[in-house]
Amino acid sequence: MVRSGRNALVVGLLTTVVAFVAVIQVRSQAEVVRSLEGQDNTSLAFLIDDLHRGNDRLAEQAAALSAQRDSLRAGGGTAGAALQEEADRLRVVNGLVPVHGPGVTITVDAPLTSTDLQDAINNLRGGGAEAVAIGDRRVITGSVLKQSGNAVTVDGVALHGPWSMTAIGDPVGLPAAAGLMTRDLRADPRVRSAAYQVSPDLQIRSTVGPRPFVYGSP
Amino acid sequence: MRLRKAGGYALVAVAALAFGFLSAAQLRAQLINPSNRVQRNQALVRSVQDLERVNAGDRRRIRGLRGEISGFEKAAAQRSDATHRVAGEVADLRDHAGLSPLHGPGVVVTLAGGRPGPDAEGRTAYLVNFQDVQDTVNLLYEGGAEAVAVNGRRLSPMSGFGGAGGAILIDQGPPLNSPFTVSAVGNRTQMEQLLGEPRSLGDLRRRQQRYGLRLDVAGLPDVRLPAFDASLQVKAARGS
Repeated sequence: MVRSGRNALVVGLLTTVVAFVAVIQVRSQAEVVRSLEGQDNTSLAFLIDDLHRGNDRLAEQAAALSAQRDSLRAGGGTAGAALQEEADRLRVVNGLVPVHGPGVTITVDAPLTSTDLQDAINNLRGGGAEAVAIGDRRVITGSVLKQSGNAVTVDGVALHGPWSMTAIGDPVGLPAAAGLMTRDLRADPRVRSAAYQVSPDLQIRSTVGPRPFVYGSP
Repeated sequence: MRLRKAGGYALVAVAALAFGFLSAAQLRAQLINPSNRVQRNQALVRSVQDLERVNAGDRRRIRGLRGEISGFEKAAAQRSDATHRVAGEVADLRDHAGLSPLHGPGVVVTLAGGRPGPDAEGRTAYLVNFQDVQDTVNLLYEGGAEAVAVNGRRLSPMSGFGGAGGAILIDQGPPLNSPFTVSAVGNRTQMEQLLGEPRSLGDLRRRQQRYGLRLDVAGLPDVRLPAFDASLQVKAARGS
């Protein structure tokens, strides 16, 4: 009688353990799959912030294009002026003309590399830069930055520190980006000094030359 | 007697099974609820997915609007010589800003992550990061690229790169993930030569040896690039 009671207890305990382990295992696996391939919540929060900012800019662009389309649709002899305005805007985008407007100038005394300068350009673009120059060289996405000993060449022209970077664009986003950049630079042991200046009307006189298509066909 | 005993065991087993399921479910619920980590993660993932859908919708809308504008401009260009001339100039400037599809000879570079290494560097160095992609893009421009796209996303003269870990953010996102395809139209021979030089993309090649990163180059007679479909607004800078 005692033996059969003990057997029942063993069976009961074993079955409980099996059920317990099965539930834990099944639920754990489901949660691993659901946790979006290992992305932690902080990374997801940063991603959401980036996407919000990106989507705001896309929505703004769509609104501007809608207005442009409506103006052309209305006609009334304004198409010529609208096209001229568009040509002027695209010359700025392509870096073909000198520009002026609100912006920041960042000065850094340090042996910066081409990677540092590329990072700086990315940060300025993220802050809303519409035109960027390093020293007296205008920089667009197609500009080639290369390390050459202690110098960095921009489209084949060697530049040395101390560095001066000028960006014209978003009057709110650019000073914020410049503030973060100089704070990070000051924490870099290579950097002797890093500062920035905000101006309501800066000038970038340098331009990039026209790059006609030789191989590509639109 | 034996039958009754077996029935008793079965009853105990069923009761224990139910108890086990309930206890485990209760314990899991108690473990998760205080931090709610899983639910929070799911909510964040849903937000990301919603924002990506909005992003894709806005890009479609921008493509459509640019197409409509181009149609109206072509119609207006037929009404006067002066407008015709400016419209031609605008079309050329748009082509160079990446706002039109482009095709021609070129190369396609494929980059993908390898295997994590046991050392501290190996925990991240096996991933292709945004600087690797930007180095590749720069090398292609150096080799004579006239236009470049990353994972089918065309670059503009104002494009910026960013990212964290293995995800890359270009312009207004959404993030791109490995494998990365960098496609360029331009001087195919020169681009292939430059990509083939051992000194080019030194860090990427070192990590290719060490962690098995993928770095493939294919020269093609006709590479097709889509038009840039994000924001290219100029609100502050004025030509002088």
